[in-house]
Amino acid sequence: MTRFVLLPRQILLWLIAAFATLPSCQAWAIDPNDPPPPTTATATTNTAKTSTDSSTTSAGAKATKFELDIQPLLTSRGCNSGPCHGKQRGQNGFALSLLGFDAEMDFRAIVQEARGRRIFPNAPEQSLFVQKATGELPHGGGIRIEPDSAEYRLIVEWIRSGQQRVSATDPVLTRIAISPQPHSMAPSDQEQLMVTATYSDGSTRNVTNYCAFQSNEPAVLNVSGNGLMKAGQLPGEATVMARYMGHIATWSSAIPRPEAVSESVYEQFSQQNFIDKLVSQRWRELNLAPSAICSDEKFLRRAYLDIIGRLPTADEAKQFIQAADADKRERLVDSLLSRPEYADFWANKWADLLRPNPYRVGIKATRSLDGWLREAFQQNVPYDQFVRKLLTAKGSTWQNGAVTLFRDRREPDEIVSITSQLFMGVRLDCAKCHQHPFEVYGQADFYGLAAFFGRVGHKGVGLSPPISGGEEIVFVKSSGQVRHPLSGDVLPPRALKSEVKEIAAEDDPREALVDWLVAPENPYFALVAVNRIWADLFGIGLVDPVDDLRATNPPSNPALLQALADHFRQVGFDQKKLLKTMVLSQTYALQTRPNSTNYADNRNYSRYYRQRLRAEVLMDAVCDVTEVEHNFSGLAKGTRSMQLWTNRVDSEFLDAFGRPDANQDPPCERTKDSTVTQALHLMNSPALHEKITNENGRCNRLAKSDLDPSAIIDELYLATFSRFPTGDERSILLAEFAKPETNRKTVIEDVLWSLMNSPEFSYKD
Amino acid sequence: MFRRQWLQLGIGGLIGGSFTELLRLRDLHAAELPSGKKPSSCILIWMDGGPTHLETFDLKPEAPSEIRGEFQPIETNVSGIRICEYMPKLAQIADKYAIVRSVCHNQGNHGAGNHYMMTGAPPRIPVGCGAFVSFHPSMGSVAAKERPAPHGLPGYFSMPSMSRSGGPNFLGAKYAPFVVSNDPNSKNFRVRDVELPGGINDLRFQSRRDLRQLTDRLPRFEDPATADPVSAVDQYYEQGYELITTPAAQKAFDIDSEPDALREAYGRNSFGQRALLARRLVEAGVPFVTINDGGWDHHSNLFDALRKRLPTWDQTVAALISDLDSRGLLETTMVIALGEFGRTPKISTLAGETKPGRDHWANAMSILFAGGGTPGGQVIGATDRLGHSAVQRVLSPENFVSTVYHKMGIDPDKVYYTPAGRPAHLVSDPSPISELM
Repeated sequence: MTRFVLLPRQILLWLIAAFATLPSCQAWAIDPNDPPPPTTATATTNTAKTSTDSSTTSAGAKATKFELDIQPLLTSRGCNSGPCHGKQRGQNGFALSLLGFDAEMDFRAIVQEARGRRIFPNAPEQSLFVQKATGELPHGGGIRIEPDSAEYRLIVEWIRSGQQRVSATDPVLTRIAISPQPHSMAPSDQEQLMVTATYSDGSTRNVTNYCAFQSNEPAVLNVSGNGLMKAGQLPGEATVMARYMGHIATWSSAIPRPEAVSESVYEQFSQQNFIDKLVSQRWRELNLAPSAICSDEKFLRRAYLDIIGRLPTADEAKQFIQAADADKRERLVDSLLSRPEYADFWANKWADLLRPNPYRVGIKATRSLDGWLREAFQQNVPYDQFVRKLLTAKGSTWQNGAVTLFRDRREPDEIVSITSQLFMGVRLDCAKCHQHPFEVYGQADFYGLAAFFGRVGHKGVGLSPPISGGEEIVFVKSSGQVRHPLSGDVLPPRALKSEVKEIAAEDDPREALVDWLVAPENPYFALVAVNRIWADLFGIGLVDPVDDLRATNPPSNPALLQALADHFRQVGFDQKKLLKTMVLSQTYALQTRPNSTNYADNRNYSRYYRQRLRAEVLMDAVCDVTEVEHNFSGLAKGTRSMQLWTNRVDSEFLDAFGRPDANQDPPCERTKDSTVTQALHLMNSPALHEKITNENGRCNRLAKSDLDPSAIIDELYLATFSRFPTGDERSILLAEFAKPETNRKTVIEDVLWSLMNSPEFSYKD
Repeated sequence: MFRRQWLQLGIGGLIGGSFTELLRLRDLHAAELPSGKKPSSCILIWMDGGPTHLETFDLKPEAPSEIRGEFQPIETNVSGIRICEYMPKLAQIADKYAIVRSVCHNQGNHGAGNHYMMTGAPPRIPVGCGAFVSFHPSMGSVAAKERPAPHGLPGYFSMPSMSRSGGPNFLGAKYAPFVVSNDPNSKNFRVRDVELPGGINDLRFQSRRDLRQLTDRLPRFEDPATADPVSAVDQYYEQGYELITTPAAQKAFDIDSEPDALREAYGRNSFGQRALLARRLVEAGVPFVTINDGGWDHHSNLFDALRKRLPTWDQTVAALISDLDSRGLLETTMVIALGEFGRTPKISTLAGETKPGRDHWANAMSILFAGGGTPGGQVIGATDRLGHSAVQRVLSPENFVSTVYHKMGIDPDKVYYTPAGRPAHLVSDPSPISELM
């Protein structure tokens, strides 16, 4: 059994506790390196503080040190940025590590490489290093340091005093913090941020002028290079990031609507569970009033689409609408969660994330993974076990579908990218080649994670595209190493910013990784899982994009995200229970129609956000509504698009509505947008026309039936819109039936065409 | 000889073709620029992945072999301008285009580089490499908004797909590109679903439209700040109706009416026929057409891949420029070829690969710029001896995008307002590249 060192959770909780209660502001840190802000507040005022030096505030004058003084200076002047000496092979033979993450390399480059010609200790001012930076010698990067400035003197002093590096006794940078504390702002407010670096000896420095600042919404809250923020004219939310020597701090703020909302509005919102409580807290801070509660018909349609990915039939809709029992919404949710379509729908979503190209890994292996996914959701395997089965898969690709993942992603570095993105919400790809420029991760993190997969072995028949039909066995080898690509050092398996205990030779290192992932203390695992499901149900993730959790991309409601993650854990990672909690929240039942306070709210769920039905859902809905199955070439009759095992099955419909394209490399993501192509397809596609006019279809059945026009209209509305027509709608359509020259079948076809071409059909409202 | 052949084809096309009327309408449609010139349309050949400048328009034959690579430069018909040996046809018409060798920026990954070059605005937050991002409207969407096309034609086409950041952003769905994914090189090419299905005549279609209008009761949220996706659907239906009901649109897609010789001249492949279709669309009055031409991300196997690819690419682009020229359309049609960035001067072989390539490089890139009144036969700017960075006449993506807008008669200094009411400058630095004007 492996044990691991845990630290991030209490920190995360601390941060959330510290800031979630403050009005309209949050500090969000998923950076496990970031300890809590100092409890003794750093002395600061709101008046702009723009001292230009990095004065030491507690430790007196000390010798100039490379790591403490010179590297930050180079970073602040852009010397080691991507376009200059920080790129992989440097600039004109002089290479520094990107943004100064590798002091060893940078020191070597400046002091030792090129036969030491960059430094001239006897006359420091004559050093190439100095004369290039000041532009005294031709320098492609121009003048970066003014001669005789404080920075100039700092460098000269460092050279003169023997180019010292930090020693074991010197303090190291432990964290940076932004002051003042985050708070809400009013339009046009200005505020100077101060960034304080804290070192291991407790000393601090004001490093504001050596930081890079960036705002994710400059129009809401702009920030200048020296940390001066200016709020724009309109309400909104924004996060400012400061970066200093590989450390990142963020400052989130909101500019609330100026008019307060009456407290009674919030009291009237009947909270069903913790979701409603935490969501309405944000509304209070931002002065948003929630929209009204939706009708049973809307709820019915949402619940069907979100839980099982299909529309209710006309009969199902009628029954629910006419039922009078008070708990009918809850009973509906329970019954949907036990429907067989549930598994196909959720497997289809996971297939987007895991599905390989069958021409690369083989048809049998691809089908085997597809079957594995469906079975997992049929059995409602708890999410932690689902991930464990997937990430520790071994055996035959023909017997255990999860093994296909390791057939598709054969090398440790290939599996790391997907593991970190899917199960931690961390995009580590940058860190494969260099320090992640906006995160705390570097190559040691990437390859440390890869090392968990270093002993994955393959035997049997490998890939042989375009058929790749062979059987392959994945097993755990007795040895296998992952090396750091630069240093060549063998890296032991190491979870992100956490240690795991030594793994015995007979153990599968992947088990240790999963132990770390699913442990209650893991700061990522549950968050990214609930965020993904939340985004599907509520239209946009608390973190968006869903798998990009980082300090610089904070959630719109950190407390809610954490509470959902805690809840998911408490219910034993049972996805059905989580779904039930979400769907039965009052927040889920809000109308889409905005009010005068929340029409511009697109992140705080004070109204329900419309979503187009995804390709497979819409296509199956078309088949259900027309009562004509689609015949996919090469597949059993009656196969629904939700049951397709690969995106390589031809379908103009699914392509037009944005299913992922497995042919592209890298595979294209599913698109949620609407396009004119989609409109044209619903209007004119010969295949759809055939379904509407098919003699075994609904239109012809209704035409030949003895139902009166009113009953026909009811059925068409219930089947497409999951509701009865209004009186007005009914009379309009009855008039169509009553026109003397019309043919009953033609009218029915035209009505169905009209309904299917209305966004009330193709959107979840 | 080459030129004469074009001239003949061109005249044939004008007299025999169905486009004279369209041309007349197009002229009526286009307002004049302050300079008295007609505003230009744009055919953007987007070389997705980031084409190497060192194997196309900025060769460094004097550089050491690990930089120089395997290709040699050849002379063009303009003395002093040399381009890659695998582009002989473009070499014959160098007087028709300019080469810009000194646009550079600081976005070294695909998502961010694409965004910067397509919109003229750097991405405002860090962007992952494969990400689809949009923070600002693309040139094509701005063109569609500012220069609407006649006859119900969309103002912005993209073939065969939309590029990563080629969307409308806050301008709204109405200005998204109309994507023609079908291959115009295939037999029976048609643009999908723009014709009514069999059995539905115009009359019945009209009555369906009316019925739909009556039954569509889903409320629309008018304020753009609500970002209601359903209001976008309405715009798509409007566009769809116009496309279906306008014969001019159908005609523009009728690539089969082009003479065989001309189709051959463009190259009988998807890229070649897309370029020809682009010309037809521009002729019909479409202001902006993007050909999203993927596969230029040559981290490995650079030389063999380009030996194969460059000659056909060369044929198509040269054919397009010459064809437009012979029709008198080059003066009002830009042809621009570029990607998101250039590639590393030093050749390298990635781990696990056997054949060398070059990696992403935003410090230098080359752009081919023809037409729209651009003085041809010139090279603007230069990179250093080894192709590392732009050193002369250093230009930004903003300068490039401003140039395109100027030539289209769109003020790059214009301020738009986002649906939330926030101001957004079209281009933060609105100064065009003067040598191209």
